[in-house]
Amino acid sequence: MTRLGHYAAGLVVALGSAAWVIADDATTVPEGLTFLGAPVTAEQVALGQEVYAANCAVCHGAKLEGEPDWKRRKDTGRMPAPPHDANGHTWHHADRQLFTITRLGVSAIVPGYESDMPGFEGTLSDDEIKAVLAFIKSTWPERERGFQAEVTANDEGGS
Amino acid sequence: MINMNDPITKPLGRRGVLALLGGVVAAGLLSTQPARALGTSHSALAFDGDALVVAGSQVWRFDPSGVASLLPEPRTPIRALACHPDRRGRLFAALEGGGLDRFDDGGRTWAAASDGLPLAQVTALAIAAGAPDTVYAALAGDGLWRSEDAGTSWSFVMDRPWLAEAEREVLTLASVNLASGMGGIWIYAGTDQGVTRVPDCFCRWQDVVAGDAMDALVAGTPPAPEAPLPKGEPVSALVAAHSAPERLYAALPSGIWVSADGGVVWENKSSLHAQALAVDQVDPNHIAADTNTELKHSRDGGTTWATLAAL
Ligand code: HEC
Repeated sequence: MTRLGHYAAGLVVALGSAAWVIADDATTVPEGLTFLGAPVTAEQVALGQEVYAANCAVCHGAKLEGEPDWKRRKDTGRMPAPPHDANGHTWHHADRQLFTITRLGVSAIVPGYESDMPGFEGTLSDDEIKAVLAFIKSTWPERERGFQAEVTANDEGGS
Repeated sequence: MINMNDPITKPLGRRGVLALLGGVVAAGLLSTQPARALGTSHSALAFDGDALVVAGSQVWRFDPSGVASLLPEPRTPIRALACHPDRRGRLFAALEGGGLDRFDDGGRTWAAASDGLPLAQVTALAIAAGAPDTVYAALAGDGLWRSEDAGTSWSFVMDRPWLAEAEREVLTLASVNLASGMGGIWIYAGTDQGVTRVPDCFCRWQDVVAGDAMDALVAGTPPAPEAPLPKGEPVSALVAAHSAPERLYAALPSGIWVSADGGVVWENKSSLHAQALAVDQVDPNHIAADTNTELKHSRDGGTTWATLAAL
């Protein structure tokens, strides 16, 4: 290898580890991501990740993967917790709807509907709810983010 | 030979009627007796463009010029049919006993289109209003399955609806081209406990309320349905007009019911007791009904009916 080659290889290693550090420690926010009209910040996503681990992961899964067999109703007649990743349907709901579901439970948007999703009003502040949903949104691939941004834009009254 | 513009028998000579009825009776469409003898009490209807397809153990196609032609015989009697206006000549059929077949215009046979689908009775079929290659099938004791490649492969999407403390069989299914507010449209289902619907993202079954889900959210509580279908009656058929998706027709024991607003307000149009319904893909006022003894149609949205074929 030439001197230049050695130098270049060293640079790649350095860049690689820097990128790894960024992905692991600091939080990356996809460009242009908003929640309820406000730009999502790295601090918000970091807070959201903590809120998620402490309040949501037990049902929705540590990796947002949902409960096993989540499309099949339980014996109680209620649905399991769906994934919050691209395999689920969270990204089909507008920001306002996600906020309302998390704060008040599913029956707030589908009256009379019985579900195991607790409302977090009183447990989490509005800022924490916004943060956890911003975190969930930040994990979505571009296609799902774009889809959900459109659903949110079409939502009457927007954010 | 049958002319949909004329009430039955007249334009047909006696031999014509007998020949036609012979075929149709054998198909178990027009008589409960032969239907029982053939082990099928169901028949299926669908408009293919402006032609009406009637299927049981035989499949007849009535074109608007009055010609009735026999399509290739299915492997087993057909229980439900679906056809999309953007794919004329292509039919999907749910078979009695389980399985699902597809027929393409000019074909000689029906071909299996149920790869990956469990062998349970398909109780209802629908094609996505806005995606002619997306097909939904409701399976008895199971739930909803979806194919996005015209029946080549299938995946499970949703459990059966939960109504009045139990999961209910889907007796009839309709893709209704009305915005769900969730980036897609609605799928309506008729059950023995009335009508329910699910957005095509399959988040959850829910009652029909005025406006879309977003309106319900904004209002906090939804406006009470003003004129729902009568409670406790099974909905054996539910169809949406392709050219006017807010127009729904439902067949109940109490008769034919019509909604002009996507199922919030229903009106009883006729006491006709139908097993199957189909609505013309172009003319939302033109509907066909199978009453078990007669094949009928209405050109005024269900108020007056003429018999297309009778015993
Ligand atoms: C006790 C279990 C449980 C916990 C804890 C929980 N959820 Fe849920 N969640 C559910 C279930 C079950 C559903 C599905 C409800 C249904 O459709 O019947 C659900 C549904 C949802 C939905 C709707 C998804 C969709 O696409 O329809 C959102 C949004 C949601 N949860 C967010 C959260 C957030 C954010 C947290 C943490 C702050 C959380 N959930 C904590 C059980 C839980």
